[in-house]
Amino acid sequence: MRGPRILLVDDEIAFANNIVKLLTKRGYDVMAVNDGASAIRAIGEKEFDVVILDMKMPVMNGIDTLKEIKKKEPLIEVVILTGHGSIESGVEGMQLGAFDFIMKPISIDDLNEKVHQAYQRKLSEEERIKQKNYVG
Amino acid sequence: MKLKSETVVNTNQAKEVKERKDHYSTLHRRFVFLTTVCLLVPLFLVGLGIHIYYSGFSRTRMESYFKSQVEYHRRIIELFLKERTSDLQVVAFTNSLDFLRRPLNLRRIFNVINREDWFFTDLGVIDDKGRHLAYIGPYDLMGKNYSQTFWFKEVMKKGIYISDMFLGFRKAPHFIIAVLRSDGNRKWILRASIDTEYFRSLVENVKMGRTGDVYLSNREGILQTTPRFSGKIMEKAPLPAKFFHEEMGIGILDADKDDPSQQFPRQFVAYAWLKNPRWRLVIKQDYSEAFKDVNHANRAALIFLQLSLILIFIISVISTRYMIKVIKKRDEKTDQLNRQLVQASKLASLGELSAGVAHEINNPLAIILTENQVIRDSVEEALIMDEKFKIELFASLSQIDAQVQRCSLITQNLLRFSRRTKSRTETVNINLFLEEVIQLMEGRAKGMGIQFSTDMEKGLPLLLSDPSQLQQVFLNLITNAIDAHEGKPYGTISITTRSNNQSQGVEIIVGDTGSGISPENMGKIFDPFFTTKSVGRGTGLGLSISYSTVKRLGGDISVQSKMGEGTRFSIFLPFRPSIDVHENLNNVSIKNSSSIEKGA
Repeated sequence: MRGPRILLVDDEIAFANNIVKLLTKRGYDVMAVNDGASAIRAIGEKEFDVVILDMKMPVMNGIDTLKEIKKKEPLIEVVILTGHGSIESGVEGMQLGAFDFIMKPISIDDLNEKVHQAYQRKLSEEERIKQKNYVG
Repeated sequence: MKLKSETVVNTNQAKEVKERKDHYSTLHRRFVFLTTVCLLVPLFLVGLGIHIYYSGFSRTRMESYFKSQVEYHRRIIELFLKERTSDLQVVAFTNSLDFLRRPLNLRRIFNVINREDWFFTDLGVIDDKGRHLAYIGPYDLMGKNYSQTFWFKEVMKKGIYISDMFLGFRKAPHFIIAVLRSDGNRKWILRASIDTEYFRSLVENVKMGRTGDVYLSNREGILQTTPRFSGKIMEKAPLPAKFFHEEMGIGILDADKDDPSQQFPRQFVAYAWLKNPRWRLVIKQDYSEAFKDVNHANRAALIFLQLSLILIFIISVISTRYMIKVIKKRDEKTDQLNRQLVQASKLASLGELSAGVAHEINNPLAIILTENQVIRDSVEEALIMDEKFKIELFASLSQIDAQVQRCSLITQNLLRFSRRTKSRTETVNINLFLEEVIQLMEGRAKGMGIQFSTDMEKGLPLLLSDPSQLQQVFLNLITNAIDAHEGKPYGTISITTRSNNQSQGVEIIVGDTGSGISPENMGKIFDPFFTTKSVGRGTGLGLSISYSTVKRLGGDISVQSKMGEGTRFSIFLPFRPSIDVHENLNNVSIKNSSSIEKGA
């Protein structure tokens, strides 16, 4: 059985690499990109269950990226990464359909749990749609 | 470098202080001068006007008084002489020479004409050859022949003659009245001399004060009566004759500076010429006495003026001092405001800076934390058998973890500090909120030996309020509470919350064991710019901002304090503030953001 497929979007390469390592070790199939445009591209090429999205990025910021992702793949769950000073953007992200937000600096256990919860929700959501189609 | 710039600042400040001082003393001098001049000029003008008017008025009054006196007195003297002349005329024309020649008859008549008063010294009948036919009087003049005397010639010519004072055969100053009677072809003369003393007392019968004088003199300026001062009868009159050229006159006579014999004090003189004989009546008085009232008034006015001058000077000095004090106070306030403005803008830029720094530091912190986790994972998987090494490594990693969390807390607080100016209404768990505030201040309090003790009521409803403004209020209160412990080795700041059901809100009490507030400062602590902290330490704005903030949030703040024991601030906050409070908050947020833009 394949692990949950995760797309990590963060412009801090060192941070992204670490998260990839840590989450891979915890059984996830993780891919990292460093900007919003690459993320949209990646979603078009591959299937993902959860996107971990940093809010503060150059060129295309988190909110815009989130909107694009939700437009393309409404079922993908998004976990937002924010700094403490920008809780507002986290809240805004949730209003746009993000699963939850988590504040930097993060502990891997918290992130693991949030991602797991997001994945569970995606699964149940897919199940619900399947049932609906079956019944329909 | 820093030291150098500080010295420059200090010398600049000293220079500025000195300039200020000079400025104030110049201002002081100018104000005193101006107010004194402004007050004195009208006073002098009024004084001068009154002086001129009053002097003129009293001079006119004095002149008219002298005039009437001299006129009146002249008439009295003339009347007297006329009466005496007519006495003699009546005697001469009602009696025959034969009758009058008899000494008994003449004595009787002498007694009759002297009945009223002792007017005449003697009475004599003289024939047209100048021989005495009869004589009544104290002198032995019976054998004298007057045919060569001036008066005999005059009376023979004119019929009636009043002589000037002369010595005559008796060798004593006197004057005579002589009347000529033509009885057929016989001519004879009735002659009487006027009592000199009586005449003098008549002339002098004018009251003219201490220095006043009255006398008669003839055309040549020879005295006809003895004046009270200077000069004797038959001597030259003390006043120059040139003065008396009119029928009647009045004026002021100054001593002749060139002629030492004419030395007398300034005189006020009135004179009038008698018609017959041609004598002048002189009434004079020392100028200083005549114008005593004016001089007195002038002196009084001068004293009054001097007193006014002193008073005006004192008043202007006092009022100027007060004014300068007010100006000084205003300047100080302006300076303080400027300083506060600078401080506020510094604070604003510090907020921006700290926000930037916090954001930037957050990222490396996140990396460190994840890196830590990577190491942890790697070590757990690796085949390291040395358990002791593993334990030590994990302890170190935990320590890194803890320190990163600590740094994270600092950046969080910095961000919160920079966000303080943004206003929004949120639900606030007041107990948690206060714990956060305490956490922020704990480090500083610990450094001063101060502990926090909390007594918070559990299960309080959530408040609808602006957390950033509330944070400012409590940070201010706790900062003050900490500062109140200055000079004390330890202390406690107690924070209590309890619901206040009656008022539908929560009461928060911030108490300290500090120095307390003195009763005279109690009324001023919420005033803007009031501070007891040393210059540069306190802006005097903290409590006033807290007060206005709490009021704006729909709450209330009150204070109790005991000197030396401590202070208790009670803050009431409503659970649900009214709608206009929300509006207020929104307005405030707009105001705040615009003020920050300006400040930046």
